[in-house]
Amino acid sequence: MKKSKLLSLILTASLSVTMLAGCGNSGNDSQTDANPPAEQGDDASAKTDAGQETETSQTEGETTAEGEDAESMYAGEDPLKIAVYYSDNSTLPFKEDWLTVKAMEEKYNVDVSWEIIPIADYNTKVSLALNTGTNAPDVILYQTTVGENASLALNGALVPVSDYEQWTPNFTERVKEFGLEDAVEAKKLQDGKLYYMPSLTDKPFYDGGLILREDFLEAKGLSEPKTFDDLYEILKAYKEENPDSYPLTILAGPRVLYRMTMPSFGISVGKNSSSGTSVLSWDYENNKYFAAATSDELKEYLTFFHKLYEEGLLDPEMADPIDSDTWSQKMATGYSCATYAYYDQIGGVESAAAQEGFKLQMYAPLEGPSGAHHQPKSSLGSGIMFPAATAKRDDFERIVRTIDAMFFSEEAAKIWCLGIEGETYTESGDTITYSDEILNAADGVYKYMQVQYGCGSDVTQMVWYNAREMSKYDENYAKINEQVAAMDNAIQDIPPSVDFDDLQAEDASSLQTPLADNLEVWLDGFLTGSKSLETDWDAYVGEMNNLQIDSFCQMYNDALK
Amino acid sequence: MGKHKKIAKSNLIFDGLVNLVMILVLLVCLLPFIYMIAMSLSDPAAIMNNEVTFWPKRLNLSSYRQIFSYPNFFRAYGNTFFYTICGTAFSLLMMIMLGYPLSKDFLRGNNFFMKMVILTMFFSGGLIPNYLLISYLRLTGTRFALLIPFAINQFNLIILINFFKTIPVELEEAALIDGMSYWKLLWKIVVPLSKPAIATIGLYSAVFFWNDWFNSLIYLNSNQYPVMLYLRNIVNGTMMVGEAAGSADKSTIAISVKAAVIIVSTLPIICIYPFLQKYFVKGMTVGSVKG
Repeated sequence: MKKSKLLSLILTASLSVTMLAGCGNSGNDSQTDANPPAEQGDDASAKTDAGQETETSQTEGETTAEGEDAESMYAGEDPLKIAVYYSDNSTLPFKEDWLTVKAMEEKYNVDVSWEIIPIADYNTKVSLALNTGTNAPDVILYQTTVGENASLALNGALVPVSDYEQWTPNFTERVKEFGLEDAVEAKKLQDGKLYYMPSLTDKPFYDGGLILREDFLEAKGLSEPKTFDDLYEILKAYKEENPDSYPLTILAGPRVLYRMTMPSFGISVGKNSSSGTSVLSWDYENNKYFAAATSDELKEYLTFFHKLYEEGLLDPEMADPIDSDTWSQKMATGYSCATYAYYDQIGGVESAAAQEGFKLQMYAPLEGPSGAHHQPKSSLGSGIMFPAATAKRDDFERIVRTIDAMFFSEEAAKIWCLGIEGETYTESGDTITYSDEILNAADGVYKYMQVQYGCGSDVTQMVWYNAREMSKYDENYAKINEQVAAMDNAIQDIPPSVDFDDLQAEDASSLQTPLADNLEVWLDGFLTGSKSLETDWDAYVGEMNNLQIDSFCQMYNDALK
Repeated sequence: MGKHKKIAKSNLIFDGLVNLVMILVLLVCLLPFIYMIAMSLSDPAAIMNNEVTFWPKRLNLSSYRQIFSYPNFFRAYGNTFFYTICGTAFSLLMMIMLGYPLSKDFLRGNNFFMKMVILTMFFSGGLIPNYLLISYLRLTGTRFALLIPFAINQFNLIILINFFKTIPVELEEAALIDGMSYWKLLWKIVVPLSKPAIATIGLYSAVFFWNDWFNSLIYLNSNQYPVMLYLRNIVNGTMMVGEAAGSADKSTIAISVKAAVIIVSTLPIICIYPFLQKYFVKGMTVGSVKG
């Protein structure tokens, strides 16, 4: 008895010791994190001084040579050795001997040791490297400073890129060229500094949306849908002909439907809401957030889609996630004739379909009560960041300059997109002609260039010109994109981000979680009819009010930049 | 006589029942596997049209060709074999050398060491402290990061210790009297007698090293990654980032490829089982009761 008491005492003691040890460690850990900032601050200022020095000497170089870019600056020296984290997607496995990669390494005189990390585990690896500061690479691709990265950045785990603006002339130039100054400004963290160089897009693409069986429309003599009522008529016609079918199905789940269709009703709520808040939406006219989750717009939206559901026009399985295999199955077998999905996937379904004349087509966003809009998009994507340790390297300036030139310069942007002139394409005037090999590829130009040459990979291509990209797709796709671009603001901007400090961010997220969860439950209920939009709507609004949706909205409006 | 027959009859019914249950269990285990094989060998279009059941439709090896053509696939596979074989061998060596002394009750401090071992079963530093430790030991980025920290598995060690305890003391005494050293005694007498236990924990270790991807991910460089990391990425890589509205929903991997991945990643380790089975059946229960 005594012995077992002793044992339990020891165990409890050791438990608390290990826990404390854990705390101590993480304490140390955050200190090791916190230390570098101070150090790095000094370091950085020292570096900036040095930078300015070199800068002045550079300006001389500039005036004489004109070619101030990293390419000519470091041409004669030994290759720059850097370690780079690359997020690898198994649909596009990285190859070190890709034409683009080799061309870059040669052109900018770099010897990159690529760390190819599977995308599913990429964030874990990055987070570990940044949190511990040990074994961090010199450059990390395909990251942003939202969430954990933001606090890591503010605690000094990342290099504030904006402090070294004089070393990133190409990035600055592209931002100006695309008119994205405000968007980039919005990516700065609370301390007013930018911690990564995002990828830049001049005009957002319309890469997914309503996809319909064109052969069915033709056979029935129906015209191209313009409004949601047109869609309803088409679905109804299909259902009449195929009573066992569910004409409209959704890839992945309701969130895809919501994010692609809600903007036409003036809202964007749910898991993929454009504001990232799940329950708020941006009022594009009055420039403020409003509580979309309790708005009449949402009610109107749900009324329409509940009608589809009730009449058997909307796939009842869509509440569960529909993976792409099941989705393709449904489309190919004629279980459904319409869907919200991405253009890239049309080809796969068409080639699998047994039915003769099977043809899918993507259509421009449909008009709803608030006009015709697609999911809002940001012109800035994931980009490049430098871990704090990189700034301690003697050749830090060269690294920054090289990376800037390697990803954001005019020539580099062209190579990452098109490959090498004469080898993969020829250009005369504005027209780009791809080599026969590429044009005849079974997978299509875009996919083939990705897999074969590494062109157009989200991870490495940092500059996206809409017109240049369109040259990789079939005419049909380019035509739809043109049509969408001609519409009145069909793809709206992502709502502006807000400036929360740590405490506010925590308050906001503790309000957001129950609101978002509650919304998901009710959305399902209203859509499937287990909750009535007429009798239960007020109860739902009451619940959301109890969960303080209004003060949540107020927080966002108060924190607007 | 009649009574005898009756017993035989009820036995027969019982046997039939047992067999029936066993066949059901077998089917439950086997059918998913067969289904996966059929999928992996079928034409993607046939799968999409819901035609595949347990027999491949329109035999097609393209999914295998696709995964084998992944850059570094074979290097990663080689890595996995390296970790599995070396890891298991090293782990067995360390566990035998730790387990044998701990199985001797007359060894002073035995209890203390045992408790230390058990303590680490329940308490650990957590991810980041562990990572820092491995990193300060300068093991990150070396293959030893996978071999050394996982050499001793407490659970397996306890099985082994208990098995060592069942070996009759008289055998060892006889050997000692004949002038054998403890070292020789361990390798010449105890280890050969402990084959069932060693085979069992060897299999456990091998399966652990074969399946492990997380430790490789955090400690190693990408050219040292095991194949599991790649395969995991192929099977659910594009699903993981689904919340990031957009590109994740765009790229897809055919189910036939996923099926092929599952087959490729499980087949080799499954092939070990038949060879170890005779030890395994005995080994599962050995060590549980002290003789």
